[in-house]
Amino acid sequence: MALNFKGKAWVFGDNLDADLELIPFREREMGHMKDGNYGRWILTPVDPDFPKKVKKGDILVTGTNMGCGHGHQQANIGLMQVGISCVIAESFDRNFFKNSINLGLPIIELEGIKKFVRQGDELEVDLHKGEIKNLTTKKAMKFTPLPDFLLEIVEAGGLEAYTNKLIAEGKI
Amino acid sequence: MGKTIVEKIIARKVGVPEVKPGEYVKFGIDTVIQVGSDIGALNANEYKNLGWDKLFDPSKVMIAPEHCGSWSRPQDSITNRESHRQTVEWAKSLGVPDENILELGRVGTCHHIPIEMAWALPGGVYLHIDTHCPTVGGVGCLGINLSAAETSFLRLGWMWFRVPKSIKFEISGKLQNGVMGRDVFEYILGQIGPAGAVYQAMEYTGSVVENMSMDGRLTMCCLSIFTGAKTGIVAPDQKVIDWFKARTKVPFEPQYSDKDAEYAKVYKYDGSKIEPQVVVPPYRRTVVPVSQAVGTKITSAFIGSCASGRDEDLRVAAKILKGKKVAPGVMFNVTPGSSDTMLRSDKEGVIATLLEAGAFVCAPSCSMCPGFYTPLAKNEVCIGSSTTNVPGRMGDESAQVYLGSPATVAASALEGKIADPRKYM
Ligand code: SF4
Repeated sequence: MALNFKGKAWVFGDNLDADLELIPFREREMGHMKDGNYGRWILTPVDPDFPKKVKKGDILVTGTNMGCGHGHQQANIGLMQVGISCVIAESFDRNFFKNSINLGLPIIELEGIKKFVRQGDELEVDLHKGEIKNLTTKKAMKFTPLPDFLLEIVEAGGLEAYTNKLIAEGKI
Repeated sequence: MGKTIVEKIIARKVGVPEVKPGEYVKFGIDTVIQVGSDIGALNANEYKNLGWDKLFDPSKVMIAPEHCGSWSRPQDSITNRESHRQTVEWAKSLGVPDENILELGRVGTCHHIPIEMAWALPGGVYLHIDTHCPTVGGVGCLGINLSAAETSFLRLGWMWFRVPKSIKFEISGKLQNGVMGRDVFEYILGQIGPAGAVYQAMEYTGSVVENMSMDGRLTMCCLSIFTGAKTGIVAPDQKVIDWFKARTKVPFEPQYSDKDAEYAKVYKYDGSKIEPQVVVPPYRRTVVPVSQAVGTKITSAFIGSCASGRDEDLRVAAKILKGKKVAPGVMFNVTPGSSDTMLRSDKEGVIATLLEAGAFVCAPSCSMCPGFYTPLAKNEVCIGSSTTNVPGRMGDESAQVYLGSPATVAASALEGKIADPRKYM
């Protein structure tokens, strides 16, 4: 997986809870996600049509405490299933953050991102370089890239895939 | 600039002179890893599905029935004994030695085990798949919980982490009789709120913490996650060091915060002003002084879980109930957190006192906390010293669960209504 992306920005607010705003927990409890298709439900409590409108490669931009609440990874999986290429937030909940890296969902924590992006802006992100270009406003923003050993995990497609890669290479 | 105990533990583990908050690190696993074989059998099941035929180091993997005790739900497709046996077969096939396989009768609730077995060492790091792993912070060990997505650590033998900022809580003065570590934590939660320490380490200091038992400190650290914290920790003192010296030959190096360590925040409280605290349903975050809950009639009471059920908790209950009876119409479940606690409490006469008072003494396990033993019936009102009170967690969703210290729970069981324990001390 390359670590640069280009896509349309979807902008949401603060404190998106993994079980309330990201995935409707009650629907999950009622057994409506037994098929493992969390993408069909992702962000529907905030925008019922989101899974239909979002396109592969689009980028999610949110406020503070993104993915708070229980560390249920269905939220991260759902975002990947609808094709979100990267999540950028002012700050992340600890579980959401580590689940993203461990599942291979590229993630950037960047204070000031909400002022930099408006709904629908076209963004170009380079995870290695630590740069986000807003192609709509023609402005750029820098961030500290994740260390290489974490980018390797993301690039491999998550911790399990990364472990499999090390096994295949005879490294462990 | 000085460093906090958490930063020093991580730096030592990584093998570098220092680490900074926000930095990402990875380090190898050199303590044992406890893999749950009953309802907590997440690791084993995940691992089996991944099809990996090796563990990073089978000698470091311990298999323990750590949640359910002997309990099984009729609706489950598999009994806990069956689940344990399957996990044991899996572990053996990957080379886990027989002595690493623990059976009922030698264990207890998952976060009691690493202390009793001296796996979580002062100055070390301890990892476990359950949320309340930070409990081990009570002995100056950094406890970090892993998620199911991190099962790969059993194959890799290392994991990555982000160094948290630390918040210092300085609790000075002396606690009133009948006020316990539990009350200190709930008081702090009431002050800083459920997002008061998000992603940070809570470091508890001051004369109140210095004079507190190890059991009280373990309780405070166990509950730290309810402020959003990554972990909680207390500097280990002589009694902690003696505990481990008596139980293990494995060398350990306790760590301590520097005097000029940098904290994200420092909170100071006067411990002598802290009353017993009660968490009021339905939210985990609503904390009131006991005086505001006194008189609420109860039908059940519970001492146990990873947040209590330690020697001191049972002892305080026995002290309050000695020569008296549990109120008519109240079921008082007391569950020692480990077989070791049960044995010590038995030798002290604590178990006999509780039985004479009419308490229902359960086998070491999580017991009522997740609604295993004696699940709450419709519309029951319970006060527990367990971790949380999410509706439905301890049984029927209509049941109301208050939370308080073991002293408050015992006093309430005695009176049949929520009571202030201070008058019995
Ligand atoms: S006692 Fe309760 S909170 Fe603690 S590990 Fe068991 S179920 Fe979880």
